[in-house]
Amino acid sequence: MSIVDLTSMGKSQTELRKEINGQLSKLQDEISDYCFQCAKCTAGCEAHKLLELEPHKMVALLKRGLIDEMVNSDIIWTCMSCFKCRERCPQRVAPVEILFALKNMAVVSGKQIPGKYTAMLQSILSIGLIQDVQEVTTRDNKTMKRDELGLPSLSKPCDPAKFQVGLTKIAVEKV
Amino acid sequence: MRRIGVFVCHCGINIAQNVDVEALTKYASKLDDVVVSKQYKYMCSDVGATLIKDSIKEHQLDGVVVACCSPRMHEHTFREVVNDGGVNPYRLEIANIREQCSWVHGDRGKSTEKAKFLVRSAVAKAKLLEPLETSTLEVNPDALVIGGGIAGIQASLDLANDGFKVYLVEREPSIGGRMSQLDKTFPTLDCSSCILTPKMMEVGNHPNIDLLTYVEVTGVEGSIGNYTVKVRKKPRYVDVDKCTGCGDCAAACRLKGRISSEFDMGMGKRGAAYMPFPQAVPLKYTIDAEHCLFLTRGKCGDKPACREACVQKAIDFDQKEELVDLKVGAIVVTTGYDLLNPEDLYEYGYAVSPDVITTLELERLISSSGPTKGEILRPSDQQKPKSVTFILCVGSRDETQCTWCCRIGCMSALKHVYLLREKLGDDVEINLCYTDIRSYGKGYEEFYRKVRGLKTNMFRGIPSEVQNMGDHQKIDIFDTTTNKLFEIKTDMVVLVPALVPRSDAADFARLLHLTQSGDGFFLEAHPKLRPMDTFVNGIFIAGCCQGPKDIQDTVSQASGAASRVATILSKKELEIDPLIAAVDEEACTGCGICVDVCPYEARVLNEKAKIAEVNEALCTGCGACIAACPSNASIHKNFTKKQFLNMVDDIL
Repeated sequence: MSIVDLTSMGKSQTELRKEINGQLSKLQDEISDYCFQCAKCTAGCEAHKLLELEPHKMVALLKRGLIDEMVNSDIIWTCMSCFKCRERCPQRVAPVEILFALKNMAVVSGKQIPGKYTAMLQSILSIGLIQDVQEVTTRDNKTMKRDELGLPSLSKPCDPAKFQVGLTKIAVEKV
Repeated sequence: MRRIGVFVCHCGINIAQNVDVEALTKYASKLDDVVVSKQYKYMCSDVGATLIKDSIKEHQLDGVVVACCSPRMHEHTFREVVNDGGVNPYRLEIANIREQCSWVHGDRGKSTEKAKFLVRSAVAKAKLLEPLETSTLEVNPDALVIGGGIAGIQASLDLANDGFKVYLVEREPSIGGRMSQLDKTFPTLDCSSCILTPKMMEVGNHPNIDLLTYVEVTGVEGSIGNYTVKVRKKPRYVDVDKCTGCGDCAAACRLKGRISSEFDMGMGKRGAAYMPFPQAVPLKYTIDAEHCLFLTRGKCGDKPACREACVQKAIDFDQKEELVDLKVGAIVVTTGYDLLNPEDLYEYGYAVSPDVITTLELERLISSSGPTKGEILRPSDQQKPKSVTFILCVGSRDETQCTWCCRIGCMSALKHVYLLREKLGDDVEINLCYTDIRSYGKGYEEFYRKVRGLKTNMFRGIPSEVQNMGDHQKIDIFDTTTNKLFEIKTDMVVLVPALVPRSDAADFARLLHLTQSGDGFFLEAHPKLRPMDTFVNGIFIAGCCQGPKDIQDTVSQASGAASRVATILSKKELEIDPLIAAVDEEACTGCGICVDVCPYEARVLNEKAKIAEVNEALCTGCGACIAACPSNASIHKNFTKKQFLNMVDDIL
């Protein structure tokens, strides 16, 4: 009949839950319901080590339909999209995809996006990449340039204006 | 002067790390009558056995002491070794320096000293051990299976197909047991009746099976190879030879639909003339003497309605109970389990609300042959529930109730979720409160995953209470996956109670001299290596009477028990262990105390000679008569007072 979170009096947002699960099943073939809370995702989460993002808890809240709580939380923006959780999940649930869905919902609902994201967005619109990576630090703590590692230089859009129009079109269609 | 050899085992480091085996061997070699003393890492290995046999030949030994583990472990092994070496096997004595020494003491010096005492006293006894000969007894080739559930059915069919005659005794009017109450079985969702009924029919028709239903075991005498089992045939008040199972009597019964049906777990009603379920074997009606108006009050209208209705004239109110003796060589006990009465956990409100039910009650609601014809209706208002909540581990894993895991609760609840989703549709809310989901069997984990995908609200936690709000039940649950306290309002609560031994398990155990483990289930002789054996030779256990288990494991264990029985019954003769009681005829006064105390009826009074005798086939060597005899005339072979006093004298 009903399930209520007695702390926040929040109720299950069944429709939203269905929508996110729908997106997930398209991306990963699986939905959050299969998660059995082993927390392997959190154990390996790079953001957890720095910022206490707990992906398994995100999945648990989604299973329970408590979505507003997550959309309104800043924690969803701390995911660094390393995709480790997606790679390693024994039940093929991808917490990272849930976070993408939640981020999109936050944007749609007009929530303030953290400044770093705007800068990243700008970078994508101009060069097609979040970062213009020219140097890396190796495990021996040496700084190496791309050509020293035998990597080709990063390609950039030849017509930045046309590229921006195209990208915006895709973004609009997808969202 | 005797020639005794002492053999000290290291048992890897089990003994050697806490007992100085080197010093012990040296010590033993200096004892009187000991002509050789040796040590080896594993005396029970082939090399160890050869060492003993070779030493017997080389030193012309006439007695052997092995200092090793408990005699329950390897006495038998070493008796064979000694026998192969040419010494009478009963001239072997074990000094238990593992369980009673190295394993239980910490101080190496003191342990070694104790081991020396143990070996010294074993040598003292070995000096006086008599050579004994085993005798044989004829084996009755028939078997008895007690309990007609799936375990009993499987064991009976296996034995009958092996060519043995089997008596299958069931106290209810039909065989089938718990499995016949189930609708579907996990994880394959096989229809329970569809896979069980053919087996029941096979039992009913098998030329080698004598099916005795509505019969109770009242006593067991004898021992392996020759048991006499007393059974009580309860009167059915229906002549089974005439009854065709047409059902006219049940339709006519004045109490029709007024007695709570045991088979339906109280969810449905029956009359006093009844058949528990449509696929019953035998397909015969029974008149319930506890309720029948004619049998309880002597009057049922003008004439008993069932008797009038029966065309076959099968109703016979003059039937009396019958006592029958069955002679068998071995017994399989498959008496099954009970569910814990959830009233023992008052907080779940089982006694307060009709809408709080157990898994087995839900099973009868789901079953197409059940009281609702398979429709899921909530008991209070006979309406379809919009929300059903399962609570797992009710009384299981609970130090105040049942400390054990019921092993089938998780899977049976998951199965119910699947079936309810199928029957009630996608819109019905299904909640499941669990501590851990244990899906350990073949195909179980895959089934669990399937159920997680069925919009099941899984809450990891156990509610503290179920509040009866009249038209619904309210549950507060703290879900550890979200760290949140939730309030669930639900139409129906299904409790998954612990599996417990049958309420009369203790009485039954006494009847058969079986042992119960701490939880009350029957105890197997060894948890790993003799899982179907009991401590009574010739009696085996299978199924849930030994401990909770699913159908798969029950059937495997039943087949195992049948094969253990076949090992005995396929022999014409059995060797009898000669370590039993004997009588010193000169000392015996014929007082008969031993006859009274013997639990196996192995002691008899010879009226003519005025002395007591021992029936060697029945005596188990328990020692009761030896302790009871006032004139020291009862002797336990190779456990004599003289031998024991010599052991004590030697170490004091």
